Amino acid sequence: MSAPLTPEQAWQPLPASAWDSATARHLLRRAGWAARPDDVARAVAEGLPATLDRLFPAAPPPFPRPVFMVKAEERLAGLRPKKRAATTPEERQIVDREERELERLASIEFSLKWLQAAADPARAAYEKWTLFLADVYVVAFDKVRRAEHHYIHRDLLRTFGAGHAPELTKAISRSPAMIDYLDLSRNSKRAPNENFARELFELFVLGEGRYAEADIKQAARAFAGYRFGKDGFRLDVRAADPGPKTVFGRTGPWTGDEVIDLAYAQPAAATFLPREMTRFYLTDTPPPPEFFVPLGEAWRASGFELRTLCHAFFGSTFFYHPDHRANYIKSPVHYLLGLVQDLKLDLLPLPRTTLQPLRQMGQNLLEPPNVRGWVGGRLWINSSTLAARRQLARTLCTPLDEDTLNADERLELTAARDAGRSRFTVDDERIRDLASLGARGIADRLCDFFLPVAVSPAYRAAVVDYLETGPREEFEERVRRATIALLQSPEYQLC
Amino acid sequence: MLLPSTRREFLRHSTRGIGLLAFSRFAPRFLVQSSLAAPAPEKDRRILVLVQLAGGNDGLNTVVPFDDPAYHALRPTLALKQNAVLPVADHLGLHPACAPLHALLKEGRLGIVQNVGYPNPNRSHFRSTEIWETASGADESLSAGWIGRYLDNACAGAPGSTDPDAIHISAEVPQSFGGEQPHHTFGLAPGAARAGRAETPLLERLADRDDPVADGNHSFLRATLMDALVAEKKIQRILDAAKPAAPYPAGNFAQALRNVSALVAAGLPTRVYFVSLGGFDTHANQANSHANLLRQLSEGLAAFQADLAARRLDDQVLTMTFSEFGRRPVENESRGTDHGTAAPLFVMGRAIAGPLHGAPPDLRVEKNADIRFGVDFRSVYATVLDRWLDTPADTILGARHERLGFLG
Repeated sequence: MSAPLTPEQAWQPLPASAWDSATARHLLRRAGWAARPDDVARAVAEGLPATLDRLFPAAPPPFPRPVFMVKAEERLAGLRPKKRAATTPEERQIVDREERELERLASIEFSLKWLQAAADPARAAYEKWTLFLADVYVVAFDKVRRAEHHYIHRDLLRTFGAGHAPELTKAISRSPAMIDYLDLSRNSKRAPNENFARELFELFVLGEGRYAEADIKQAARAFAGYRFGKDGFRLDVRAADPGPKTVFGRTGPWTGDEVIDLAYAQPAAATFLPREMTRFYLTDTPPPPEFFVPLGEAWRASGFELRTLCHAFFGSTFFYHPDHRANYIKSPVHYLLGLVQDLKLDLLPLPRTTLQPLRQMGQNLLEPPNVRGWVGGRLWINSSTLAARRQLARTLCTPLDEDTLNADERLELTAARDAGRSRFTVDDERIRDLASLGARGIADRLCDFFLPVAVSPAYRAAVVDYLETGPREEFEERVRRATIALLQSPEYQLC
Repeated sequence: MLLPSTRREFLRHSTRGIGLLAFSRFAPRFLVQSSLAAPAPEKDRRILVLVQLAGGNDGLNTVVPFDDPAYHALRPTLALKQNAVLPVADHLGLHPACAPLHALLKEGRLGIVQNVGYPNPNRSHFRSTEIWETASGADESLSAGWIGRYLDNACAGAPGSTDPDAIHISAEVPQSFGGEQPHHTFGLAPGAARAGRAETPLLERLADRDDPVADGNHSFLRATLMDALVAEKKIQRILDAAKPAAPYPAGNFAQALRNVSALVAAGLPTRVYFVSLGGFDTHANQANSHANLLRQLSEGLAAFQADLAARRLDDQVLTMTFSEFGRRPVENESRGTDHGTAAPLFVMGRAIAGPLHGAPPDLRVEKNADIRFGVDFRSVYATVLDRWLDTPADTILGARHERLGFLG
């Protein structure tokens, strides 16, 4: 491995002379899901700063509520009077059940529509960024069973995700999903609940050990009375605690927002999130917090602007260091969306073929395993998750057998086709195009376009040999199988 | 080339020597165990074979209440007449396409559990399949499958082996296989003549290379993949050598069962197999398609049972069908049926006690309404876990469910 960087070297911008197709591919694969040749060429031509401007824009593209979610909300609103009018537990149960079913369907629709948006190369980097933020500001459907609240939560992450971090944190403290997930709704002056205050310091802003237990106890009081009702966020003044609190050595009648500002004034705030980014984007073993000081101080000077942080991080010498190339295990979402992008497909809009494989690979989109989010790295890989990855590659490279679809699945596909999305799997025509390159051309195309690792001539030769061995009339079938094998290979699991 | 019988041999056969050993974190354990060698016979090992009827099987036209006037009123074009069905009891008969199953029933090798479902049924394929596969209530959501939880319980602390704990022959990994802990599960392509997926030979060459990589994640991925491929190779060897002891009909479903029988006969320590037959979502003109499906099911299951019996393995294997839901009692305007609720399921094996379990559904339903289930599917699971797999069913299912009498 190459010589380790000092912190000062690490956070210098990547020299313009080092911006080439290799560094561009690294950026596109790590900040997004895949490095398609056209996108690489464009990034190289535009240069790194312009590319970062495009990937992390000042005004993030909106993600409107999926139509079904709007309908589900209307139907849920219609159920509320019915619930109030219910006179027996049985009647109430029937309404409860209908509500749960609508929430479940809406959560599926939300997941599918988000994956579809995130698969768009123009949106990939920013949507991956929102996924990172959702892995910091964790909420789970398992506890928060309101699809609408998950939508609002993600939308806050998206909207505030390019702005100033303290504003994002304040917005999240008012997020209905967070209020429910970390029990803010149970936090009152009379009975303070510390759940949110603890995670605010430990998991959102500072990191473990960078605060005292007393800080948590006092800070929790500042968030007493945070509630979410049908008109949105409100502070319940009867439950609030306006009295003086001492947080990080400073005493005053702090509000929740002021406590968040006090947390960001702590030295650890400047290095915590950059280190979490490193864990999410670069390596399972990030360097210690001290290493991030130069980056953190620049970030603090910007008023903790997240867009500034993204540009500095994704444009740094550290990000492109050889230690961080082609050695990070893709998450299940990355593997799925990487395949969709690399193969130029439209996301299959069926829970069974898209959400179920994600779960089998170990990543249920709205269900992080706990408040810390996904651990990732090697924990993504075991014999069953690897089998699920292999199966997904096979599914996406094999024409869809529509006879085996259920009637409602056919309806979904018809709707997607009507909306102009119809390339769900690699069809015979695409395989024929690839086959026309000849064995050596195919091997080069597969290795160079799909694999982040520079493979040896022997590796290529194995692909060529496989393609050339066997009956001529089965050549196209071998091309398909070789494509599947490359996408299942250990090398393709890396980015 | 002779197929390797140990990983050591496997590695030796690989063209460039011991490259893999240099980075496989599994190699030492693996070589000690030589887990590719013939497994030790386990005479009392009991195996469960799950047969999924995907799409929602029409229970009413499978186990037919042929003399119930309500049945004929609900099914003006689809009802089966008394002289067509295969008699099971005074008022019940099997669909005429189920003749091989009917014979098994008479021999005491087949049981019917009637009217199986769950409270507050969900009519979405995806969700109801999830409920069945995770053994959850309709209003709760569990991440682990019931077989996965069984494996969590049965295999906790078991030493690592490349032999799969559970094998599925279906395009997708069944949700029932997912555990709280990872288990070694293995998938076979439903239609493929070979166990190895078609792309495997190339993948093997790509993974088994002599250019050791310094990167830990890369070598970890190679090693994990190689372990999976070694298992695949072993299974391929078993299937290549397999000779069924009874004839099987053509078709992917029967072929899948033939493969299960071969793997059971080879003495793999695998305890659960999963086979899927799809196409039961019969919304329109269902008479012929449903008959064809039931014929495939019956002929396949009967061949499988005959094969197991001829190999004297039938005392080790219990087979059970399930489907995400039954269908609406009333037929629709397209001579088909829409998503419904409860349906009968089949259990098959030498241990079956008695032909009929549970009561048939009450068909006196309101217009376009569904039947109400009689047996909770988790009672079927509890019976299988407790009386067949000999594991603490209530722990695995998270609640106490009544045991049924279909296992002697």
